[in-house]
Formats: sequence, structure tokens, C-alpha cells
Amino acid sequence: MKWGTFIGVMVIIAAIFAYEWPRMKQLPKKDKAAFIALLSIGWILTLFDLQNMAGPATVLETIFKPFSKLLDTR
Amino acid sequence: MIEKGKISGMQMGFMMYPTVVSTAILMVPSVTEKYAHNDLWISTLLASLVGFISMYIAYQLHRLYPNQTVIQYSVHIIPRLAGKVLGLLFLFFYLHSTGAVVREYADFISDAFLPQTPMIFIASSLLLLSAFSVRYGVESVARSAFIFTIIFAFPVIFLLLLIPDLTPGNILPVMEHGILPSLRGAIVPQSWFSEFFMISFFLPFLSDIRKGRKWGLISVFAAMISLTTINLTILLLFGDRVSGMSYPVLNAFRYIRMGVFFENFEAIIMAIWILGNFVKVSVFYYSASLGLAQWLNLKDIKPVVLPLGILIIIFAYWSLPSFQDVTYYLTGTFAYYGPLMQTIIPACLLSIAFVRRKRPSSS
Repeated sequence: MKWGTFIGVMVIIAAIFAYEWPRMKQLPKKDKAAFIALLSIGWILTLFDLQNMAGPATVLETIFKPFSKLLDTR
Repeated sequence: MIEKGKISGMQMGFMMYPTVVSTAILMVPSVTEKYAHNDLWISTLLASLVGFISMYIAYQLHRLYPNQTVIQYSVHIIPRLAGKVLGLLFLFFYLHSTGAVVREYADFISDAFLPQTPMIFIASSLLLLSAFSVRYGVESVARSAFIFTIIFAFPVIFLLLLIPDLTPGNILPVMEHGILPSLRGAIVPQSWFSEFFMISFFLPFLSDIRKGRKWGLISVFAAMISLTTINLTILLLFGDRVSGMSYPVLNAFRYIRMGVFFENFEAIIMAIWILGNFVKVSVFYYSASLGLAQWLNLKDIKPVVLPLGILIIIFAYWSLPSFQDVTYYLTGTFAYYGPLMQTIIPACLLSIAFVRRKRPSSS
């Protein structure tokens, strides 16, 4: 993982938090929890080298392989 | 209710048109040419059938469950837990598709126009703009779409400048090998047409539902005519050289030249095309955000919009290292994944809903 990406992501997350948090004062706890959970999921995922990792696209490619052979697109 | 805005049927139609056409014009001509050869214009006609079916299913489901989106009525149609799981699958699908759209856009811009700019910057700037549009709700998405779609549909007129360069003979022989090559060519574009199911996220906010059906039909029809015209123009202009090009429509606009001074049309076209892509990304982004807010029973859509942007960027890059992988994902996987989620599963939901609706009245 590169430090540049890490710092960049931290800055973006801090900016989103600073922008959104004061605006959601009256909202119920559930909305705040969803906001923080989503930000944390995003932050944790960006710690990995996702571009070269197996992910949802790989899973879907495996599932739909029998169909894509019909067209043989590769 | 999370969303308080109201839109008109015409605005919905204007939203859906660039949602299908804007990215389809990049890839569809070369992909259909690969399988259908000089019948590529029949392929888009056949593919549009999926668009009409998906739209009809979304409309009928909305009539059975008014004022609800697919995330809400899926828990009423099938058992609650299964409905929630299906809702999660839909959310995942729309999140992942938004990522794929953003990636496609960034790939095209950096490949054709801005090779020095980091791709992540191109992707996130468009996404940030859409995020602000989505935060202000369905009305801001619909109104910006209304203005931008009018400008977006304009370049079709520029295609008329190509008429002197066309070779009508390229169209012959029509259906030399029967209908099968055209059907194979239709497999990829029909995944774009299946995106018309997304009207499910906008029908609940229509002020007049009957206008929604009319404008939905007009929108599918306009998309069919546009894609067929573009495919036909590409065929008549380039003949069998299309398959070697990654973006034939861009090549066609580069071909336009009036006199000796009026050229490089593609710069204008790109600026206009970005507007269409902005509409597409905001429609997808809005569907994903609204779906998530409804799935979690939140009170407002705003808290989830910006955090979802980070997830969309993640999905745009996750296990897709190069342009080839993106193309393979779109033609080999999304071509089946899209219609499965947006045509086949909704069709199952609709038939279950019909059966359940019939039973209490007969007993």
C-alpha cells in the first residue's frame, strides 16, 4: 500500500465527515450509525491493493463463465 | 417517505435516455459488429425488445405496489428475509454497476483525450459532481437531466455531415447467414436496454403515473432509434474495418471535416458526451443511494450519499486492473448479469405478485 493513497483517502474521509456531520444533527441514531459504518467500510477496503485482488467482479465472472463461452469474448 | 420531490413523466423519460445511450454508443458498435458483421443494425433492434419488456415489468410491478421501489416491494412479494436478501443483491448490483460506468467513462476519457491525467481524478471529479446532484434529491437529478439530455441528443445532427462519405452498399447482403449472427450480436446491447428497469426507482415520485408509461415507451423507442442509426452510420462509413476500432463513434466524429478549417469535431462531442454521462452516473448513483436508505429504513438519503461515493470508486477498480478487463467484464459478465437482475428476477417477482394477488379474491 502506498502512503500517498492512505493520506489521500484519510483527507477525503475527513472532508466528508466535516461536511456531513454538522448537517445530520436532527437525524435519528440509525442514520448516523449507517453513515459511520459506510465510511469505515470504505476506509478499510482502500487499505488493500484492490486493483490486483480477486473481488466481486472475479466472482461474477466465474458464475457467468458458462454463458460467456457462448460468445467467446476474450 | 425518504424522498419528498416530485418529477414529471417527461423528466423521467429524459433521464432514462442518456442512462442507456451514453455509454452504449462507445462500445456497442464494435462489439455488435464482431458477431453480427453487416447486420449490426438488426442487433440493436432486437436488443431493444429487452428494454420494452423490462420497462413493462417495472410499470406493472409499480401498479401492483404503488409508491414503492423494488427494494420496498420485494419484501412484500416474497418472504421478508428473502426479500431483504434480494434487496441487498439489487443494492450490490447498482453499486457495482455505478462503479463500472464510472470506470468506463474514466477509461475512455484518459485513453482518448487526457492520457496524462491520473484516471482516479477523472473518475472522482465526475462522481463528486453527481454526488451533489443526488444529495439534493430526485428533483435536482431530473431537472439537470432534462436540460442536459436536450444538449446530449444534439450531436446526432452532426452525423448528417457524414452523409457524403457513406457507402450504402456496405449494408448488403442483409441476413446473409440468417438471423443467428444478429441474435448473437444482440446479447451485449440488450444488457444496456435492461437498464430501463431502473424506472422502478423513479415511478413512485411521478406526479402523473399514466404519463410515466408513455414517456418510458418514448424513451426506449428513442434509444432504439439512436443506437440503430449510429450502428448503421458506422457500418456505412467504415464497413468491415469497425472491429479493429475500440471507439468507432469517436473515429466517425474525427472523420467529419467541412472545408479545410472546420475539423476536430470530437472535442465538442466529448464535452457534450460528458453531460450524458453525468446524467447516467447520477441516475445510477441516486438509485443505489435511495435503495440503501430504504433497505436500512433510514429517514434521509443524504447521510449515505457521500460515503457511497467512496464505495463506488472502490468498485470501479476492484479486480479490474486494465482496460481489457473492463471490456471483458462488460461484454462477458455484465451482458448476462444485467438482464438477470433487471429483467429475469423482476419477471419472477411480477409473476409471484400476480399469483398472490389472485388468490385472496378467488377464495
